[in-house]
Amino acid sequence: MGPVPRTLELFYDVLSPYSWLGFEVLCRYKNIWNISLQLRPSFIAGIMKDSGNQPPALLPRKAQYLRNDVRLLGQYVQVPMHLPKDFFSVILEKGSLSAMRFLTAVSMEHPEMLEKVSRELWMRVWSRDEDITEPQSILAAAEKAGMSSEQARGLLEKISTPKVKNKLKETTEAACKYGAFGLPITVAHLDNQTHMLFGSDRMELLAHLLVFRPG
Amino acid sequence: MGPVPRTLELFYDVLSPYSWLGFEVLCRYKNIWNISLQLRPSFIAGIMKDRNQPPALLPRKAQYLRNDVRLLGQYVQVPMHLPKDFFSVILEKGSLSAMRFLTAVSMEHPEMLEKVSRELWMRVWSRDEDITEPQSILAAAEKAGMSSEQARGLLEKISTPKVKNKLKETTEAACKYGAFGLPITVAHLDNQTHMLFGSDRMELLAHLLGEKWMGPVPPAINARL
Repeated sequence: MGPVPRTLELFYDVLSPYSWLGFEVLCRYKNIWNISLQLRPSFIAGIMKDSGNQPPALLPRKAQYLRNDVRLLGQYVQVPMHLPKDFFSVILEKGSLSAMRFLTAVSMEHPEMLEKVSRELWMRVWSRDEDITEPQSILAAAEKAGMSSEQARGLLEKISTPKVKNKLKETTEAACKYGAFGLPITVAHLDNQTHMLFGSDRMELLAHLLVFRPG
Repeated sequence: MGPVPRTLELFYDVLSPYSWLGFEVLCRYKNIWNISLQLRPSFIAGIMKDRNQPPALLPRKAQYLRNDVRLLGQYVQVPMHLPKDFFSVILEKGSLSAMRFLTAVSMEHPEMLEKVSRELWMRVWSRDEDITEPQSILAAAEKAGMSSEQARGLLEKISTPKVKNKLKETTEAACKYGAFGLPITVAHLDNQTHMLFGSDRMELLAHLLGEKWMGPVPPAINARL
């Protein structure tokens, strides 16, 4: 056997398009690099609140830039990103609490499904401009990912239990403890250092740290 | 001759460490890619005004920035060292005289603009030296190869309307392109103009230009004569 794989934690929220970009890149590299990718469903609104930050979309020039940036990066990274028609409503009003609680339940009970269900939620909101807040929307994503209707409903029932709510809170707090002021964050655990990298645009630097900072 | 080089405008302020990273990467690629790099000294405080706030004002961003800039400096091979009094440098001392000086350089000795810009960055973001006092600016200009006479001549001009207005215009041009911070790289392609923010869109820029990205430290052997 070779050296022990290094753990990478990806804290993400499906409401965040940059989280999707980072997620897809790391999913591609998880079978190439010697890493163990741990997906950590988190709540971006909670991180904003805790850090005192505000969604970039609230600043007009950033909103304008973001729309173009996300479109261009989607093409370059080959992720089928399409901006929702009512961009502001999706990000600032509708939110992602139920979706992220659902993914938290998936991570607790069916972690092997977490990647696929996460992807299907992103595909709904950030590719096909579909809702992710209603129960039937979340069920549709889970089923598209390969869950049985029964399994999906079972998990959906759990999203308002203290166990699931607290787990999402804990994961979000863990991201905050690493210094997050937004998402995605990638936390790389090297032999004697931990690095938190913000955004989907630090992957080249991450590769460098994984190769040249083995300890 | 080959196809017409594409124009890239780099709007930057020496107060911005990310501007330094973007600047060095583009300076390396200007002799590799088929581009014409136009340096545009701008005023970051002018861009932030009414539109945004410096990231350093948010505690978690300040914390992150310090580490990010250090790591990127190592990776991009730029000798970045954080000033001891980071907040004072960014939020209090500022860069108005320095950027006016670079504006004067761009107007009268554009061939010196790259070197003088670099020496100002080296002062503030590598050796933790002042860039606000006249003697600091002169020292940077002389280190870049300007004669003492030439440097003083330009320094005298920094409070003239001509230079002040030129810096204002350049800063406004950046704002018109949609800037909310610096650096911004504006790529003029055949039928599109792209504004890219930050020093971390260079790989995407290469893709838009149809050029090859070889990382932030490309082998010099690829330079065209």
